[in-house]
Amino acid sequence: MSLIGASVPRGDAVAKVTGRAVYGVDVRLPGMVHARLLRSPIPAGRIVTLDVDDAWAVDGVLAVCTADDAPPRRTGLAVYDQRLFADDVVRYEGEPIAAVVAETEAAARRALEAIRLELEPWEPVAGPEQALDPATRLVHPHWAEYEVAPGLEFRRHGNVAAEMISDPGDVDAVFARAPFVVEDEYRANRQYQAYLEPKHAVVDYQGGRYTVYVAHQYPFNVRDRLAQILGVAVSRIRVVCPTIGGGFGAKLDVGLEPYAAVLARKVGRPVRIVNDRLEDLLTCTSREDAIVQIRSAVDEDGRILARELTCLMNCGAYAGDMPFLASIPLHLAGSVYRVGTARVEARVLYTNTAPTGAMRGVGGTYLTFAVERHMDHIAAELGMGRRELRLRNLFRDGDRMLTGQVIDQAGTLRQAFDRMEQVAPWAQVTAPRPLHGVGLAALIWLTNPMPGSATLKLNEDGTLGVVTAATENGSGAVAMGLTQIAAEELGLRPSDVVVLAPDTDAAAYDAGSQGSRTTHVVGAAIRKAAAEVRRRIFDVAAEMLEVSVDDLELVDGTVGVVGDPGSRVPLGEVARTATFTTGPIAATGAYRTPMPAHDPTCATGLLFPSFPTPTFHLHLAEVEVDPVTGRIHVVRYVVVQDVGRAINPTGIRGQIQGGVTQGLGYALFEQLDFDGARYRQRSLETYRLPTAVDVPRVEVELIENADPAGPYGAKGVAEPPVVPVAVAVANAVSDAVGAPFDRLPVTPEDVLAALEERRRRP
Amino acid sequence: MELSLTVNGQPAVVDVPPGTTLLEVLRDELGLTGTKEVCDEGECGACTVIVDGRPLDACIYAAHAADRAEVLTVEGLAAGDELTDLQRAFVEAGSVQCGFCTPGFLVMATHLLETAAELSEEQVRRGLAGNLCRCTGYAQIVDAVLAVGRGA
Repeated sequence: MSLIGASVPRGDAVAKVTGRAVYGVDVRLPGMVHARLLRSPIPAGRIVTLDVDDAWAVDGVLAVCTADDAPPRRTGLAVYDQRLFADDVVRYEGEPIAAVVAETEAAARRALEAIRLELEPWEPVAGPEQALDPATRLVHPHWAEYEVAPGLEFRRHGNVAAEMISDPGDVDAVFARAPFVVEDEYRANRQYQAYLEPKHAVVDYQGGRYTVYVAHQYPFNVRDRLAQILGVAVSRIRVVCPTIGGGFGAKLDVGLEPYAAVLARKVGRPVRIVNDRLEDLLTCTSREDAIVQIRSAVDEDGRILARELTCLMNCGAYAGDMPFLASIPLHLAGSVYRVGTARVEARVLYTNTAPTGAMRGVGGTYLTFAVERHMDHIAAELGMGRRELRLRNLFRDGDRMLTGQVIDQAGTLRQAFDRMEQVAPWAQVTAPRPLHGVGLAALIWLTNPMPGSATLKLNEDGTLGVVTAATENGSGAVAMGLTQIAAEELGLRPSDVVVLAPDTDAAAYDAGSQGSRTTHVVGAAIRKAAAEVRRRIFDVAAEMLEVSVDDLELVDGTVGVVGDPGSRVPLGEVARTATFTTGPIAATGAYRTPMPAHDPTCATGLLFPSFPTPTFHLHLAEVEVDPVTGRIHVVRYVVVQDVGRAINPTGIRGQIQGGVTQGLGYALFEQLDFDGARYRQRSLETYRLPTAVDVPRVEVELIENADPAGPYGAKGVAEPPVVPVAVAVANAVSDAVGAPFDRLPVTPEDVLAALEERRRRP
Repeated sequence: MELSLTVNGQPAVVDVPPGTTLLEVLRDELGLTGTKEVCDEGECGACTVIVDGRPLDACIYAAHAADRAEVLTVEGLAAGDELTDLQRAFVEAGSVQCGFCTPGFLVMATHLLETAAELSEEQVRRGLAGNLCRCTGYAQIVDAVLAVGRGA
């Protein structure tokens, strides 16, 4: 029986249910000491005094470190704008100013209190609109002197850390003669990834090499970024990843590792550093807050003729990966629905707030919010059905995104609308009911294409070892997806496949758990390696059995002649024979998704130029609002999703249910917002996550339109379910209340205000 | 401050400074790292343990209050390699993703199953509302608890 499509329990589940799994925060090394950071208590200002003498005197303190002791260079992902410690100026609340390391955590805390810090507070640059105002102080007065990562070209100026502009030149003319123009503005607040395991690291420095123990989504990026920050060769750094307690994008870049590395080198002992929850929340690279303005020119039949979309994205004090994400507005402004021609502008703004960055569904959440809320508004202006308007403009096979990328399978969207109609007939679900509403939202998303590899080795007992730096972030991509693919390829039980935890000394490069890439990319790499392993097994077995390799098959841990159960030899025997004759059976496979073609002249600053291995999605939300409390009850939620091929349906359901739940949090409860430039939410009490009583059981409908390059046709699955949720809900609430909800999250207060407003209207 | 307590059926004696939490005793003194620290303020349930038959948040529970108490943690659920029905249900239903919340959910749900004759989905959800999970969206956790609750 095939393992592809089978809900095999994940390989790491037993360790996790017994409490035996070792997470990053559980790592303890002999002689380990403890570090803590002194962080800026204000969002903007100048350091007047930083006197660490008294900290050195605290009992148990081993070292104190400031900008003076740290590597002098500015580094980054796109713009080299950040030093390890603030030197003269602090640019966000929580920015590290100094570090201490001591025998115990308590001693480290006492040492922090002994540091004398005096700051001259400045008026912070609080939000993207203020940052854009020419009268506003520059967050980085010396921005023009900063280096940019090799090979990247994009415009920067003043508080604009990056700019992406696409203007085909014909947009204004179409607007000028359009029968209807519909215009909107949408706003979304920040979302904290709120992984349960806080950021942490343990670093040991010995013999000129740093060994980093950190539960991370992208161990090779820890290696590379640490090398960049410390100014050492990448081979001087080894990153070993224990089990990870969630990441959702926030554990793709370095976090605390460089501080532990600098201190470990200073004191010659392993250094552990862990964020407490407040530090973690204040300094996490959360999903950015954004403002999206969108205008569409539409004809009488509801056809979109042209569009203009402008997006302001708040990157906080340092640019991080946001210059790359400035491409997402161009991809989402004109996919799913045909929009004729479009001008799209995205600006990434420096402010005196914590740096933002990747979170599951990067940029897509608020851009889809804008595009699909706007579709409802267009439908209302034209007096047209909301589903009908969408179908009229829907992409078909071979349609082009605004980048010129051709979407071969775009007709899958129509399949998704048809499937949705079967399970939730539009006329039925939208039958008028008081304070009840329905929302729809569709999406084309990508599967991250970046490279990966796996080495398979047949052990001498017939089990299989898999050496890869692919990371099991919890999604099951390794513990289900890769394990099942490897087992299927070689006729093994999943329990006979042992995957080594990521170790950058052992495995070749892997781009980490991001953009749903692991099952797709590393699965393809495993299939290549497995073909070679199978060839080696057949060569050896053919000799052992004195038959032709063409007659052999792999079944249940054995190799034998097709259709002749009596001929079967256990793989362990084959492995032992091979090892001591021609040599051990092992092979490596590597894969990277080729980037789909796009028109390179379509935009400037387009650092993320196309959407590889696209997937297709349609979400429907039904809500009821309580007129007394304003509370929004999501009573039904349906997802139709194209997954290419479902490797493990239970795993996929878990990813969709979990992604939708994060989307419901973003829609209804979760936000980081500001009092000036400081977050109002400062704990998991005030930062409100969805609980078991807040979320419905999501109905899942899978479409399996295979991707020719994916393993068994599999495409990326886990990232996109979060993306359309907020707008499906906002459209449903707008429908229920009869008023537009154009700001995320949609709160009970917003609902009550809208209901009150409606009552006052004649 | 010397404390003696029974953890997962084993007697333990620890000497810790005043102000130490039960979570610190479990993780740092006894090496039982299955119980997790997440919010450090009793908000998330990741550190749920049973003390003398009562579920509580070990991160805000003073260690001295557990003197002479019987404590059950996630490590004490299985009998050796023999998983409990609930642990098996978690493995099979897909209730585990990153797994960082799993020990707290298992301990809390074990308590729920022991104290209620029969559990409806509503009761399970209410009973687990003090435990946060960021990965699963709860459905498959609820499924596992119901599978055991209905089987009982």
